[in-house]
Amino acid sequence: MKFLAVVRQVPDGESRLRIEGGRVDLSGATMILDQMDEWAVEEVIRLQEKHGGESVVVALGPERAEEALRTALAMGIDRAVHLVAEGYIDPITQAELLAEVVRAEAPALVFTGGQQADWDAQALGPALAEALGWPVVSWTTQIELEGETHAKAKHDLDEGAEVVRVALPAVFTSQQGLNEPRYPTLPGIMKAKRKELKKLPVTAQSRVEILEQSIQERTRLNKLIDGKDPVAAAHELVRLLHEEAKVI
Amino acid sequence: MILVVLEHDGARLRKGALEAISRARQLAMGPIAGVVIGENTQAVAQEAAQYVPVVYAAEVGPYTAEKWAEAAYAAVEKSGARVVVATASRQSRTWTARLAYRMKAGLLEDTLESRAEGEQILATRYSFLNRVTERQRASLPVVLTAKPNTTPPAEPAGSGAVEPLEVRLPTGVEVLERLGEQRKGVSLTEAAVVVTGGRGLGSAEAFAGVEELARTLGAAVGATRAVVDAGWRPYSEQVGQTGKTVQPNLYIALAVSGAVQHQAGMNKSRYVVAVNKDAEAPIFKIADYGIVGDVHQVLPALIEAAKKLKD
Repeated sequence: MKFLAVVRQVPDGESRLRIEGGRVDLSGATMILDQMDEWAVEEVIRLQEKHGGESVVVALGPERAEEALRTALAMGIDRAVHLVAEGYIDPITQAELLAEVVRAEAPALVFTGGQQADWDAQALGPALAEALGWPVVSWTTQIELEGETHAKAKHDLDEGAEVVRVALPAVFTSQQGLNEPRYPTLPGIMKAKRKELKKLPVTAQSRVEILEQSIQERTRLNKLIDGKDPVAAAHELVRLLHEEAKVI
Repeated sequence: MILVVLEHDGARLRKGALEAISRARQLAMGPIAGVVIGENTQAVAQEAAQYVPVVYAAEVGPYTAEKWAEAAYAAVEKSGARVVVATASRQSRTWTARLAYRMKAGLLEDTLESRAEGEQILATRYSFLNRVTERQRASLPVVLTAKPNTTPPAEPAGSGAVEPLEVRLPTGVEVLERLGEQRKGVSLTEAAVVVTGGRGLGSAEAFAGVEELARTLGAAVGATRAVVDAGWRPYSEQVGQTGKTVQPNLYIALAVSGAVQHQAGMNKSRYVVAVNKDAEAPIFKIADYGIVGDVHQVLPALIEAAKKLKD
């Protein structure tokens, strides 16, 4: 069977973000494989380890996104496809472009991150499923194949969770609790350099345009009360919330 | 024509549905139709008809993203809508993506505010783990989701008609088992006050105090990732990057350190309160009010003080 992970490269959540000309400037940021995509990559590797076959990782993004693909290869994915495109592309258009590669690869399933840590979009996985005409299971915490035609999966809803049986091929998106991603080992990193990474330049017209980005740090009051006398501190806090902030 | 997809709990419209109606009215792009999808839709559609002139009821059974997308698309075709508005719950952020793809629409996800300008819709939203605010623009057709708690709920506007909507049910996903209860009323993402407990509470039992404070303040209970990972609280209460994003008037963080993953879920709250014994904890940097002290002593005192205020 063939298993495919779709990944993105994003800034580390701890990195400092700067705005330059009304746009987020990532030149000084540490870029990483999105943590939610890491879970997707790990799950694809585990499925391959259990059921055999091949694993493929695909990214749509600028040249530097190659680093994220190399990370996935170093973790153990067999080969990579990189659709090279600069700038912001909305998830619906991303799905359209990625669907072509996925259709050509014809995997048993696609795994991707539940939410993108840069654009905060959750739409890519389900939009990709729609583009392929496949079912989608979002926020997956557990997956088990039932032969080659079905999978049983557990996934989160707004309230609670549910267990579903889904016909393959299907798209799954990751969620915390799915697995514990492995670290790339040094031999893994060395091996990744020799693995196939195919580059395909693409152009796309984004359906959504970003006009301006800004960082408005909310000024916080930072009023600290010493809690050595807990009763007095609690009363003072409740007074402030009631009289000053007027929120209780 | 604008179509509003109205979320409900099987008996009543959710607050997010009323907020979505307000968003649709704000766009002022002509008449509004509504659609109620799921189970027991007739009763909910009757309630919805107080707000919108035409409500379609699509009885499709338990939630799957495929069924919701199919039903919403059927309502789009029937109404001729070129704009679809829904609340930005996690479930709707799944099926709206399918719908947007099918409509070849621009998807404006999790928006804070939105307005029409001719054949275009402009919206603002947060990105980069809630650290950046961005303005976006898309040409019609557009599918738009509204972040909970960003728009006042709509007021009733008369009495509309309810029409059943036939939907061809897609196959592919079969629901085997539901785990955890469907919460009625105000959900964590919709709550005006949230009280969150962190790992510093030390045990699952210590959440009894968190619950009591939440009850006293009419608040929802939240939890950090470490707490959920430890199995002290259900995942549905997790606030953070991989949990829920909340934006209440008041966010009380008890024994929460304030990791980036947690901040991504709450840093836009109007007022943030932190209780932590470590004065250097990152949560204090983003707090309006804080008590530096032992949560096991401060929390009972807070419950007492809050009760006294409410009496």
